[in-house]
Amino acid sequence: MKGVSLRIERGEFTAIMGPSGCGKSTLLSLLGLLDRPSSGRLLLDGVDVSGMDDRERTRLRREKIGFVFQAYNLLPRLSALENVALPMAYAGVANAERRERAQLLLKRVGLAGKADRTPLELSGGERQRVGIARSLSNSPSLLLADEPTGNLDSKSSAEILEFLHELHAQGLTVILVTHDAAIGKAASRVLRLKDGLLA
Amino acid sequence: MNLAEALRSAAREILIHKVRSLLSLCAISVGTASLLYTLAQTRGMQNATRRNLELMGPGVLSIHPAQSNSRIKGQSRGLTSADADAIRAEMPWLYMVSPTALGWVNPVVAGKRTGWIMVTGITTEWRKRDWVYRLRGRFLNATDIRDAARVCVVIEPAGWVTKPFWYEFWSSRNGFEDLSGHRDLVGARVNLDGHEFAVVGAMRQPPHDLDPRWNFWEGPSMLVPISVFGRYLTAEFAAAADSVRAIRIDTGEERTLTEAKRRIEALLTARHGGEKDFEVKNVREEIEDSIREENKYIAVALALGIVALVSGGIGILNVTLAAVYSRVKEIGIRRALGAHRADVVALFLAEASLLGALGGLVGVALGVAGIETLARAADHNVADLAWYHAFGMILIAATVAAAFAAYPAWRASRLDPIDALREEA
Repeated sequence: MKGVSLRIERGEFTAIMGPSGCGKSTLLSLLGLLDRPSSGRLLLDGVDVSGMDDRERTRLRREKIGFVFQAYNLLPRLSALENVALPMAYAGVANAERRERAQLLLKRVGLAGKADRTPLELSGGERQRVGIARSLSNSPSLLLADEPTGNLDSKSSAEILEFLHELHAQGLTVILVTHDAAIGKAASRVLRLKDGLLA
Repeated sequence: MNLAEALRSAAREILIHKVRSLLSLCAISVGTASLLYTLAQTRGMQNATRRNLELMGPGVLSIHPAQSNSRIKGQSRGLTSADADAIRAEMPWLYMVSPTALGWVNPVVAGKRTGWIMVTGITTEWRKRDWVYRLRGRFLNATDIRDAARVCVVIEPAGWVTKPFWYEFWSSRNGFEDLSGHRDLVGARVNLDGHEFAVVGAMRQPPHDLDPRWNFWEGPSMLVPISVFGRYLTAEFAAAADSVRAIRIDTGEERTLTEAKRRIEALLTARHGGEKDFEVKNVREEIEDSIREENKYIAVALALGIVALVSGGIGILNVTLAAVYSRVKEIGIRRALGAHRADVVALFLAEASLLGALGGLVGVALGVAGIETLARAADHNVADLAWYHAFGMILIAATVAAAFAAYPAWRASRLDPIDALREEA
């Protein structure tokens, strides 16, 4: 990132677009508090998070941010339900409540009947829906999606986009990284990156 | 940190990687079993010693000839009953002065010659310590001793509470049955070296495996007045008519032991014409010496246990390192989802501790089985196991495993989440 300065308002649906290697994922990692800027400031809800220690950043990540990955990044040995419940375990939610909430989230993404299946027993679209359900498990205010439809067919892609729109409509701030112009169009705001610079 | 999640994940990983887990578990369990056995032996020996010392008395000294077959040199007649009398006269406050003479005879009972039998000549002082018997008839009295009465008390052999499996082969002939011919000997007459002796009493020993004494003769044995030696019977290595094999002293209290030992040595040296042809031993020290000897074997078992446990720990270290490398992507995912570094450490420590605890559990089972088997095989098992030993061992095994897994777990927690997420699963 070189001199990137941007402000994303609460409730925005922002798409970050650009060719491969332009720094889209790096920007997303910075926004998701997985990475730390070497210089400059990063503010989340008005609080400077760039100087925070790992513990604080982890807590913020858990409470305020949900991640959706291109490769789903589900834990293969856990069932769909357990995958969705996992972030709640780290938030200290009791086991029974975790399972109940995970079940509701799976129902919300249309997978109520497949809660006990492992990721290997699900299709690509279903896995991504589990990924979305998981990203919502701690009721975040910011959803970061890194190429969420990159591994999906067009029908599944459309379904996932539909979900993201729904979530946005319910007030969630969505930042989506994509190199697909058609998907970018779905966002209310598009940021274009090239060689680490905002165009 | 979410311990329940860490434990759940640990159990899942152990079940998935069965062979890997089993290998680590084996090493840990061998170490645990070995340590448990050592612990049980040590505790058993300590308890046996304590019981033995209680029974024996607090201030026991044992006087022996300096050499087992010492001959008269110069003025000395060797250790004699007169020495015991002199000690008693010099130190009347001593609780016990018990001289013993020892001989071997080939008795004839009801016209039938039996096998060799140990005959111990004693005074009435003998029964003051180490009394573990049940007496039928009567014991030897002062008149018997004074008059050199031809009377004897037989010591009946002990049975077993749990008989070792080899005992039937080892002891196919029961020497006492040879002597008694399955009859009650009290009131019978026995011919010892051509002289008729009346059996006035019989003493039954406690079962072998429960006998609290440190050392005891297991074959057929009888007691006679010490005064019959030299007159009717011949004592072993007798240099004089009243030669004794040993004089056992009990001062009655531990604090007078050193002073008594010094005075006895001075008295006997003077009586033996300046010849120090005897040894005055502190029996407590002798027992402690023999314990030190046994402790060497225990130390070897302990060392083996520690080596096995450390090997198990190294196994756990390897397993954890392998687990960390194979789960890098998972670590990245968990970190992105809000797991703290401590959660990642807990993930691997829980797996190692669980493996360690399972290994400990198997080890405890092996150890207990081993101790039971050895107890059946040994004639005098001293192993003594308490429930908290087993619990402690499982805890130690789990702690060792966790200690060895600490470094890989810490490494895992320091992984950069971005790099970890980029890792191919």
